[in-house]
Amino acid sequence: MIEVLLITIMVLADSASDVLVARSMKRIGPVDDFKPRSLLALAGRVVRCPSFLLGITMAAVHFGTFLALLSFVELSVVVPAGALVYVTGTLGARLVLHERVDRRRWIGVGLIAAGVALVALA
Amino acid sequence: MTCGGHMGLAMKTVLFLAIAVVAQAAGNVCLAIGIKPLAVLASFDPGAWPTLVAAALSNPWLWAGTVLLIIFTVLFTLVLSWADLSLAMPVVSVEVVVNVALAAWLLGERVEPLHWAGVALVAGGVALVADSARPPVATATISSCGEDPRS
Repeated sequence: MIEVLLITIMVLADSASDVLVARSMKRIGPVDDFKPRSLLALAGRVVRCPSFLLGITMAAVHFGTFLALLSFVELSVVVPAGALVYVTGTLGARLVLHERVDRRRWIGVGLIAAGVALVALA
Repeated sequence: MTCGGHMGLAMKTVLFLAIAVVAQAAGNVCLAIGIKPLAVLASFDPGAWPTLVAAALSNPWLWAGTVLLIIFTVLFTLVLSWADLSLAMPVVSVEVVVNVALAAWLLGERVEPLHWAGVALVAGGVALVADSARPPVATATISSCGEDPRS
């Protein structure tokens, strides 16, 4: 049961970090200057952005739960289960962000959910 | 318009993504090997945490896994500088299959046919989801030679 809980936390943290980091970077603006001085200035701006810091924290939670899972669950189970992030991401895009989700994407989500169910059964 | 690096760019994309996917899967295998002996040290007692952290930091497998995952991130990011995410992501979706194959081969995990079928469905599903990010009109992906296709 603990593995289901950890997989849930891993997938939710992964989705949250994607959304938070993407939103922060959009707010910060496109990065097209890779001179060391500009990158340093960029680093200064991102560390003062709360949603970016929360996103990085969520990425760390994702990595931590992934490692914890690997300590007692097989890699061949953890990796396919991690793909559930595409399911939560799509549901989040549809329900929270009210984005249009096309049919191809729903089919993909269905395949992932069915695939993870098969891996869990096997 | 001269597009001399046309094939070269496609080849470079495939090569970079192939190395990236193998590095990512090998990194996960290293992490799996490295974390197993630490599991016995895991505890909810904060007094045991320094020992756990010290053991993790002195574990070469965890370092190797971390370096390989950084290599994956760098290669994937480099590819995104010239190729669309909607091209790179479906290609990288094969990582699910590569991870399970390496886990079966190097970690000796038993993967039953039903398990493989599930893995194939997941990889196909990820490819579809990633591919649906492609805008329906703009079909130009790696053929733009890194130029802004709108210009």
